[in-house]
Amino acid sequence: MDFLLLLLASGLVSGAAYGLIAMGFALIFKSTGVVNFAQGELVMLTAYISFTLYSTFELSFFPLMLVTIPISMVIGLVLERLFIRPMLGEPIFAIVMVTVGLAVVLRGITIMIWGPDPYNFGAGIPAEVVLVGGVPFYPAQIYLIGALAVLTAAGWAFLRFSRMGIAMRAVAANETAALLVGISVSRIHAVAWMLSAAIASIAGVLFAANFKLAPDLWFQGLRSFPAVILGGMDSVIGSAVAGLVIGVIENLFQGYVGQGLREISGFIVIVIVLMVRPFGLFGSRDIERV
Amino acid sequence: MRTGHFKERTAQLVALSDSKVVWSFAGLLLALVLAAPFLIGNYQVTLLVSAMIAIVGAVGLNMLTGTTGLISLGQAGFLAVGAYTNAILMMDHGWPVWLSMPAAGVVSALVSLLVGVPSLRLKGLYLAITTLAFAFIINHVILYAEWLTHGPNGIFVSGAKVMGVDLQRGKALYYLTFGITVLVVFAALNIQRSRVGRAWMAIRDHDIAARVMGVDLLRYKLYAFMVSSFIVGIAGALISLQIRFVNIDVFALILSIEALAIIILGGLGSIAGAILGAIFLSLLPEAIRLFFDVFADTNSSFYTTYVYEIRGITYGIVIIAFLRLKPEGLIGLWRDVRKYWSNWPLAY
Repeated sequence: MDFLLLLLASGLVSGAAYGLIAMGFALIFKSTGVVNFAQGELVMLTAYISFTLYSTFELSFFPLMLVTIPISMVIGLVLERLFIRPMLGEPIFAIVMVTVGLAVVLRGITIMIWGPDPYNFGAGIPAEVVLVGGVPFYPAQIYLIGALAVLTAAGWAFLRFSRMGIAMRAVAANETAALLVGISVSRIHAVAWMLSAAIASIAGVLFAANFKLAPDLWFQGLRSFPAVILGGMDSVIGSAVAGLVIGVIENLFQGYVGQGLREISGFIVIVIVLMVRPFGLFGSRDIERV
Repeated sequence: MRTGHFKERTAQLVALSDSKVVWSFAGLLLALVLAAPFLIGNYQVTLLVSAMIAIVGAVGLNMLTGTTGLISLGQAGFLAVGAYTNAILMMDHGWPVWLSMPAAGVVSALVSLLVGVPSLRLKGLYLAITTLAFAFIINHVILYAEWLTHGPNGIFVSGAKVMGVDLQRGKALYYLTFGITVLVVFAALNIQRSRVGRAWMAIRDHDIAARVMGVDLLRYKLYAFMVSSFIVGIAGALISLQIRFVNIDVFALILSIEALAIIILGGLGSIAGAILGAIFLSLLPEAIRLFFDVFADTNSSFYTTYVYEIRGITYGIVIIAFLRLKPEGLIGLWRDVRKYWSNWPLAY
């Protein structure tokens, strides 16, 4: 029983990281229809930037995020302006391939700046173990799960109540119609990239604080795909929840089925999910006409 | 100067080329490539072999992604299956290379059914992610099925002999690769203009419309998966012969991206484009190396430290630049040049 509890707990922690990254994917997909293959690299880049800020100014967690988040939003905006905006009107495949290209470029640049060696990055979070319901947690783990909870609630409220969020849903539903009622679609795209970069920075810093800051952080982006698919690519809240589910599934596989299955169990799950529902669990079904 | 459309028979319409000039240029090129090992050094021959292997792989991927429109990020997985099948059959079971190489293609094609069948209902980005998932799963299976694949140790490949000729020596490998490349390119050109190839293009252009017109989506998509991965499997087998050592690190994810970069850069859906793109991208690292040697003498240690990163960044920039500036790829560039040439001095 204790073993199961421990597996569940660490599953929730890595699942929260997946969920955060998946939220970033879903946000961009929802408003622009593009799978941003560079999301993992965005996570990595912003985590490294935050690390540099942290080691220069020795900030504690909340001030650190207060600096990191605006910087990452600017990065998201710049990337959108430089690489995505000029592709407006091109086929989706072309835009997605641009993000694939962007991903390898960002990855290379990050490794060239910060080098291939891993760093310990505490992110100003205390390190004493806390007991929650008898299960020991590091504060960084609690921060990660807390961040997912806060961002899910904030994301839901944003999409439900704010003008910008409603406009975003309108763009997601029908871009042309949204343009006709006076919504600036290009601004919505920019906002989606900015918010997604902000979420990426939170995910990156907290992931690095929990595990390590290493050049393979970008890989977490790909590892989060099962969560994105399970939640449905256009469901922001769904992908956050699916992240937790995938994290727990991975850990249970690891604990009860076999070593080495952890990495691929998520992918096996999505292959099965896609066979049953080709548009994800909470995604919307496309209706196509000839 | 020809002024009109003078095709009177179907055979003329579907001919590979109706121009004697094109055929004679192709013949000249073939002769040149055949003579190449005697004209250039060993190192350049090795480069050419890599380029030709890239051509085989790119033509294979082009069948799936360019012609049929099924985006695949699983190229590295199929290459790995081909290379490992060839290595295992040759080294652990003592198969001769002329048997193990086709077997590598067949096994790849069979494995592609594993990913093809679940992907039949998917398209676009969902398919891209599923094929990516497939490449992951393949890599893990190879890493953990140690009884079959020797796990992380990899397999040394040697002793590929046909009638006493060591195929892994420079010139022999060159001619083997060349022969396979020519075969694959011709096969691909012919498949493209056959019933199957035209059905694939219909699926790419609009799959629902294609189904309405009587194209059996299920069957033709599976054909695309099988033919494509058969060719890619052969390319994988060639890789195993060339680098003499298969290891899972060879088939990293960047390989799938590189493969997509090749066909995007060349021009999606065009076989000539796949060839151009493969040559360009496989010689690009060499060009970068030369650049660093000549212009950045003090920085060459920088280059050796970050060789993978620099390569990756170049691929990324090439993909982005082409999609942004010339979405039709190198083959589009070539068409423009040709048009400009024949119209000069007029603009149109």
